This record gives sequence, C-alpha cells and structure tokens, in this order.
Amino acid sequence: MSAIAAKAGADAGAFQPVPSIIALVLAIIVIAVGFVLGVGQTLCLIVLGAALIAFGVHFVPVGGAPAAMGQAPGIATGVPMLAAGAGLAGLFGGAWAAELGLAVALAGGAIGGALMMAITCLMVNMSYVFGMGIPPASGKIEKDPLTGYTQPEFKSQGTEGHGLPFISYVGGVIGGLLGGLGGTLIYLELLAFYEAVMPAADAVGLAGILAVAMFLVIAVLAAYNITGTIEGPHDPKFKRFPRAIIAAILASALCGILALLLMVLA
Amino acid sequence: MSVKVEASHGGIPHGKIAAAGIIIALVSLYIAVIGHEVLGFDYFAFFGGIAAIGALIWGNSAIKRLCSYGIGAGVPSAGMLAFGSGLFGMFLGIAIGAMTSVWIIPVAVLVIALITGVILGWIANTVLNMKIPVMIQSLAELAAVGALTTLGLRTVAIGGLELEAGFVFVAVGFIAVAFMLGAIALQHPFNACLGPGETQDRTNMLVIECGFLSMIIMAVISFVAVSAVAGWISLIIAIIGWAVSYKKYIALSKRDAAAWLDAKPFVDAEEE
Repeated sequence: MSAIAAKAGADAGAFQPVPSIIALVLAIIVIAVGFVLGVGQTLCLIVLGAALIAFGVHFVPVGGAPAAMGQAPGIATGVPMLAAGAGLAGLFGGAWAAELGLAVALAGGAIGGALMMAITCLMVNMSYVFGMGIPPASGKIEKDPLTGYTQPEFKSQGTEGHGLPFISYVGGVIGGLLGGLGGTLIYLELLAFYEAVMPAADAVGLAGILAVAMFLVIAVLAAYNITGTIEGPHDPKFKRFPRAIIAAILASALCGILALLLMVLA
Repeated sequence: MSVKVEASHGGIPHGKIAAAGIIIALVSLYIAVIGHEVLGFDYFAFFGGIAAIGALIWGNSAIKRLCSYGIGAGVPSAGMLAFGSGLFGMFLGIAIGAMTSVWIIPVAVLVIALITGVILGWIANTVLNMKIPVMIQSLAELAAVGALTTLGLRTVAIGGLELEAGFVFVAVGFIAVAFMLGAIALQHPFNACLGPGETQDRTNMLVIECGFLSMIIMAVISFVAVSAVAGWISLIIAIIGWAVSYKKYIALSKRDAAAWLDAKPFVDAEEE
C-alpha cells in the first residue's frame, strides 16, 4: 500500500454501517442458536459483559511509548496490557466474592478494577510529576471539563501534552470500573453454567481461564479500534466506541457459544 | 495505519514456515497420542513441547507478517489475542475428542481455532475498519497457533490429550501458567528482535529458546500428573534444548551485532 492510501486509512474513525449491521445480524443468529440450545440467557449476559468491557477500554488513558518519554499524556503502556491489568484485577476481586451473591460479586469486581486503575493512575502521575518533573497537561482540550483548569500553558512545545490530567485520571477509574464489572459478569455467568455439570474446582478453573481469554479478546479488539493512544473520555477517538461495542458483541457471542457448547455437547 | 514496513528481507517465505510449523505441531501431537493410546505409556509427553515449538515458529512468522503493517496496539496484543481466541478452540476440540475419538483432537482444535480466527479477523478488518490485507489470514493463523501451543504444553503437563486426564490441568490452574508461558513465548521473540537489523534465523532461534524455556516450567509442573520417568525425560530434553538454543541465539546475536563487548564485573577494582 502506498503512503497516500495509508493517509486515508488514518481516518479510521468512520463508522462502518454495512459491516456493523452484518455483524449484529450474525450476533443475533448466534444468540438465537444459543436460545435453541437452552443457553440463551447466559449467552446474553456474557455479551452484555463484553460490551461493558469494550466501552470501558475507551475510558482508559493509554499513552504508549511517547508517554514513557513524556511527550504524550496517558499511562506509558499499550491498551491490552492496561485493560488486562484493570479487568483481571476486577475479575479476581469479583471471583473472590462469588459466593456472596451476584450483586456483591459484581460490585466487588467493579471496585477491584477501579481501585487498580486509581492506584496505577496515581503512581503514574507521581512518577511523572516528581520523577520526570513535568506537570500534567492535556494536548487535546483547552480546559479540563471537570476542574476547569486551563491546559495549554502547561504543555511543553513539541509535545502532545504529558502526564495525567484530572479528566484522564477519572477516565481511567471509570474504565477500570466498567472493565471489572464486565469481566466479573462473564466469569459469574460461566461459573454458574459450569457448576451445574462438573465439580466446583473444575468449574472455577474453566470459568476463570475462559473469562480471562474472552476479556483479552475483547480488550485487544477495542485496542485495535483505538489504534494506539487515547487520552480518556475527552479524546476525539473516544467517539469511536460504538464500533468496538458492535465488534465485542459479535466476538463475545462467538466465543461465548464455543465456551457453552463445551458442556452442551458433553 | 496500513503502511507495510518490510521486516527481514529475504529469508524463508511465510508459507513454507507455516507449513513446516503445522506439520511439526501435528506430527508431534500424534506421536504423543500414539505413545499414550497405542503403546500405553506417557514417556512421549515431551513431544507436546516440540509441537508447541513448531506452532510458535509458525506463529512468530505470522506475527511478523501482521505487525509489519503497524497495527497500533503493539506486538504483545497479537500474542494475547492469539491465546485468548485459541483457548476456545482448544477446549471445544478436546470436548469433541471426548465424544468421538482422541485421534481427531489435534485436527479438530486446529480447524475450530482457524474458524474463530477468521471471524475475529473479519471483525477487525471491516467493523473496526483496520483494512490490513493480511489481517484475516493472520488472526486465523494466530488463533490456531494459540490453540496448538496450549494443547502442546498441556500434553507436556498431563502426558496425553484426553479430556479425563485434563481435569487436573484446569482445576489446579496449570492452564493459566500454560496460557501466559505460551503467550509470552509467542509475542516476545519478534518484539525483542524487531528493527532494521532483524534477521529471520536469529528471531526463529529466540522462538525456539522461548519455547524450550516454557517447556521447562511445564515439565516441572508435569511431575504432578505424569509418571516420574516421563517427567524427567521432558525436563532433561527441555533443559538441553534450551541450553543449546540459547547458546546458538547468543552466537547469532554476536554475528548480527555491530560490536560486542563482554562486560566484566568490577571485581578487580574492588579487590585493589
């Protein structure tokens, strides 16, 4: 591909109506098959959890390599690593509370994920401010929508901003909250399904690893949607989230039906 | 987003590496099945590790091909996606094998994982608008690699491919270890070697080294589930394989390096 075609590809934010409708129709067919096999409700909740994960990933401020050099805002690593960290922390939190009922477990998962992201964001900002000596400043907005603090005066020349402004911090916590909630929902649904047919230890292991696997699939697809870095909910790239949710619905319906077929077949 | 940057000019084409990887993986898995089903012992468990290494070489070539387009999410994301999507194929293939015959497990795993990967690749390319020409093929290949690698490492740990023997693998959580060991062995080599001076034989040697390193851990774990003799065979083969491939990798790194300095610790200065 030539560089001109690559420039056209850089406008990857456009919504794709035809493939999206095809994807939704396919997902509905898969869910219908699930209802025929008698696992429809479980599958629907798995899809809901995946949609929450895909939405949550877009909140997380991801800076990548430029952030590590203080040239872009966000946490200095890739989307899959951060989303996996937040989501898996939430998943473990929720799994730990699985015996205490659905509501407590879901809340535990959500708070686990949010706490993980809050600690990460705080320590990242500490190392930016006190270690690298740079003030948090966004490059995408004039004023922080929550605090109203102005940004451009603090932005170094030649950078896209640096550090974690308050809105990015809040975005990270919301992202962790949604990711943990979605991951825990998937885990609890798979666990309830497997526990009915196999010993508890096997069910926990199988549901745990398949929830992790599904989380990683959804998080990486969401990362492909973001294509690199995002500052948080105020970033223009945030508006791409509907595509990621549609992608997550089909991907999780597919992975979910495979995970449920395991026991329907056996 | 889709500018192709050619990694390692020349070298063996991807098709040949992929074919060799599939053949190594499937043949090794079937040797393990023959050992367990026909001959009735689990000494061939280490062939699972060879299968994993064959699949990893294939996967590394696929990752190199996919990431030469700049996917924007980093090389590790491809490894995570490969194993995340491959796991479903692996479990379903084993469940199908439990219903029919253990002989169809490797092929069933391969086919289901390929189908999963094709659908995920289609989602990434059209719904997410990534428009990378090799996306669908690469994600299909990576899902198959993830499934075959996990299946291979599972074979090292439990000695066979059956569903019944595998419950300990899942319930104790060995599957999580195999998942991460495989994912890191898949994503690390190209991530570590990429750049203008990347050469194919050096990257492949690092794949083999990472594969044997993962196999060492699985061989240690395998003492829980397999006979002691089989465990020792796997462990010794893994350690020898790792030592040889590590030595070769260092030699290849010295060959490709502009300069090589064997740094010495400051012992002399301390003593004076």
